[in-house]
Parts: sequence; C-alpha cells; structure tokens
Amino acid sequence: MSEPIRVGLLRLVDSAPIIVAQANGLFRNQGLDVQIHIEPSWSNIVDKLSYGVLDAAVMLPPLALAACAGLRGPKARLVVPLSLSQGGNAIVASNEAAVSLTENGAAPRLRLQEWLHLQQNRPRFAVVHAFSTHNLLLRYWLASGGVDPDRDIETVVIPPENVVEALAAGDITGFCAGAPWGDVAERQGVGRILIGTSLIWPFHPEKCLCASEAWADANPEQLNHLLRAVLRAQISCDRPEEAPAIAALLADPNGLGLPEEASRAALPGGSGAELIRFYTREAWFPARAHARWFLGQMQRWGWLEDQTDINALAAQVYRPDLLAPAVEGEGLYPAADLPALEGTAMLPMPDDEAFAPRGRNRS
Amino acid sequence: MKVLLADDDAERSGAVAHVLAADPDLTVVRLRLNQSLAEAVDALAPDVVLVDMARPDRDALDGIRQVAAHNARPVVLFVDEDDPAFMEEAISAGVSSYNAIGMPPPDVKPILRAAVALFRRHRQARDDLRQAEDRLNERSIIDRAKAVLIKQRRMSEPDAYKWLRRKAMSGSRRIVDVASELIKDMKGDAG
Repeated sequence: MSEPIRVGLLRLVDSAPIIVAQANGLFRNQGLDVQIHIEPSWSNIVDKLSYGVLDAAVMLPPLALAACAGLRGPKARLVVPLSLSQGGNAIVASNEAAVSLTENGAAPRLRLQEWLHLQQNRPRFAVVHAFSTHNLLLRYWLASGGVDPDRDIETVVIPPENVVEALAAGDITGFCAGAPWGDVAERQGVGRILIGTSLIWPFHPEKCLCASEAWADANPEQLNHLLRAVLRAQISCDRPEEAPAIAALLADPNGLGLPEEASRAALPGGSGAELIRFYTREAWFPARAHARWFLGQMQRWGWLEDQTDINALAAQVYRPDLLAPAVEGEGLYPAADLPALEGTAMLPMPDDEAFAPRGRNRS
Repeated sequence: MKVLLADDDAERSGAVAHVLAADPDLTVVRLRLNQSLAEAVDALAPDVVLVDMARPDRDALDGIRQVAAHNARPVVLFVDEDDPAFMEEAISAGVSSYNAIGMPPPDVKPILRAAVALFRRHRQARDDLRQAEDRLNERSIIDRAKAVLIKQRRMSEPDAYKWLRRKAMSGSRRIVDVASELIKDMKGDAG
C-alpha cells in the first residue's frame, strides 16, 4: 500500500458517506489506506487542501469555487469530481418573527418586506460560512421577497452547532443551517422552520467531495478507487433500512459524536422536515450547471467581477470526467452518457418563476 | 501595529505574546475568554490577527466582506504566495494569520514565523508528554497481564513475559495489545 490518503471532514451528518466507507471497509476493499481528519472549521479544510496538508475533503461547493476564483487569497487549484449530498438545510426564524411572517397563512417571503418595516433594528441572520449553499440560498430567498440582504439585514457566521443557542439567546433573528439544527430549534421551542431549502431549489446540491488538483493529477488510480468506494457508501447511506445503523455510527464518541436521534431524523426515511439524499436522483453527479448557478449568484452580489468567465471556472473545477471511470467501473452509469445528464429534468435548477428575484439583481 | 492573539491555550498564547512584546512597534491584545473572533476584531480593531486553527469560529473571518458588506473592516487571510513551503509549515503547526487592514499591508511574515515556531514547540512538548504517558501506561498493562499469568497459570515472571511475546509474534501483534486482551478476557470471565 502506498501513502495514506488524507481526507478531511466536519462533524456533520452529510459526512456520512466517508465515515461509512471507512467503517464498512469499502476503502480497504479498493486497496486504499484512508486517514480521516476531523476538522473544526471549513477554513481549515480549504487551507489544508490548498497547501497539500489534505488530499481530499467533504466540502461546501461555493467555498471550493470561491477559493478557486481567488475570493479568499490567491487562486487555489481544487477539483470537484463528485457530489456527495442533496438538501437538508432549513431557514429558521425566532417564534416571534415566524408568527409575524406566517400571518394569514401567506408564504413567509411575501410578508418579508412588511415585517422588515416593523423592525427597529436590522434583523440578524446566521449562516455557517460566507461561501456556503446556506448563505446563497438564504440570500436568493430573501431577494425573492424584495429584501436586499446587504442593506436590510445583517449576516453573521456561527458554527452550526451553536445556532440554536444563539437563536434562544436572542443574538440572532434566524438562521439557515443544515440538518438537524432546524428540527432541533423547533423541538426546543426556540424557533420555527420557515422553509426547507429543497422547496427553493428541488434536489439542490449540498456537499461535494473536493480534491487538491495536484493530488488528483498525480494519483488518478487512487482517485478512481476513492470515488468508487464513496459511491458505494452513498448508495448504502440512501437506504432507509440502513439509517439506524448509520446514525449509531455517526454517534460514536470516538468519531463524529453526533446526536443519534437528530441524525436519524435527517437521514433517508427520517422524520425531519428536510431530509438529506446521497445517491438517488443523481445526487452524485457534479453538474457544471450547479457550479454556474453558485458562481452566478456570487456575481449577482458583487463578490465576483462581472467579467469573470463563469463557464470556464465551472469547467475547471467541476470535473465529471474524473468520475466517469468510477461510475462505469461500478456498473452504475455508462461513462459515455454522463455529459448528457447536464441540464436534464433529473437535475432541476432553482424555481426562478416561483422565486422571481425582486431584490437587487445585477445580471 | 496592533496584533490580536486568538488562542485559548493560556500557556502558548502567553509565550507568543512574550516573544512579540520584544518588538516595540507591536501592541499585543488577546481575545477574552468566550469572546467571538468576529466580535473581537470589530471591538479591538487590530491590524493583524493570529488565530489558533483549532478554533471553530475561524469561519467567521473567512469572507467577512461577503457577509457583512457595509460596516466591516476588510479582513484577509495572510498568504505568502512566493513561499508555499512556509504556508504549509504554518498550517501544519496549526496557526493562521489575517490582515485586518486595507493599505499598505503590514509586514506580517516575521510575526507569523515567530508564532509558528512557538506552536510547533508547544505541539512537540505535548506529543512527547503523551508518548511518555503511553509508554508508562503500556508498561502497567503488561505488568498486570504478567500478574494474571503468574497467579492463574502459575508461571514464573520471565515465562509470563515470554508467553506474551510469543503470542504477540505469532499473531503479528504488539505485546501490549495481547496483554490488554488477556486482562479484558479475565474481567469477562469474572463477570
């Protein structure tokens, strides 16, 4: 066996495919020695990938793209050969705000402007990272209700396990975070889920597997075996009958130590408001259309310059070509048919008609 | 130039502060316990922020201009593009640095270099201590296993050790693993 592959992840339910692949010997069956590194922050993950301290990691797609676009220092060279999960996030508001926003049974976003006028201070919303699916979907949703997320509200970054506490303490008005925190807020009675992000963008990509480009280029065989093992793990993570065992595995105090009941609620077949999907509906496919949407939103908010070539950047970072031998090798999908998956109804885009942007729109 | 030190390890941050205090141009301020990184940057307005990478709230500084568009001071990760080896060294040591100043950028590298050196020394000391503890712990496990063999199988001490060693070698395992398994089995029998 060669050098171990160093894979980074955070203590989150959507890290499950990597944890399952390790525990069930799927990496070993592929002849791989994988070392899992549990990191405390997304910044650590992206810094370690950029400087060769990690080879691959569970990642937020917008953060991978932002790093490669040079939005957090010199342009990083990272690739996304696999999507890991879909859905699982919720936009949550304090009880008081939720009551006002859902008055008369209206869609909360249609009441946003009216509610804002009644506020004495700018409402404060928490997200898990600036360059996260959570932040971009929250901003998209707010803008669809006529709110300018830069002018009308304040955004803060709080680690997901602390958002419920911050909401209870009145430090924030609401948050957008992954499972299980929306359900936890409801169960503790400190807030209510206004909308699950899958209602904004059905089957939206959530986490991806990201690798350092230098490592991927130098180790194509290892990458292929890594992807095959993770794909197998994604299939088993998607089976409702496996969910209790996976929730127990994620609760292992020597591993991620996640609350078992809450993980169970977010896994397939669970009772949570927003469920995570790992494999079905082509959840594994790293669609360049997804990358273009994230980059387009970054441009909309003025983070990326207007002349940035979004198509080129999406094609540089999102690499379904690297996945082709793995899906074919596992007998899951014919490699030649992969490019045709882009833009099909299997992978819908956000519902622009229902969420027509009323806010600042630079495009 | 004001340096904010965000490190909850009192001993290590004391050492870093002490070293930086030798430079009369630097004022070192420390994060209060339970104060968040973003709050401290806002309240203390430092020029440079040195951060222990084990902090989960480091994400709050990443892309601060993207979340707090209007009132925030620009905060950017310090990266020496010409010296990737040094950047890797800093990341491996577990310390990162941010510039919280517009123009001109301060000369941060010597400050970060001093922090990296102290973080590495600190980690080395901790690893050494852990290894010493592990060795002591292993020794006591093997002694307890030997005592079991001496008592239950009436072996002499050298024979007990030889027995453990032979069992370890035939199974390509470490003696301490064989010993702890033996102790566990005895406990199981007793229960």
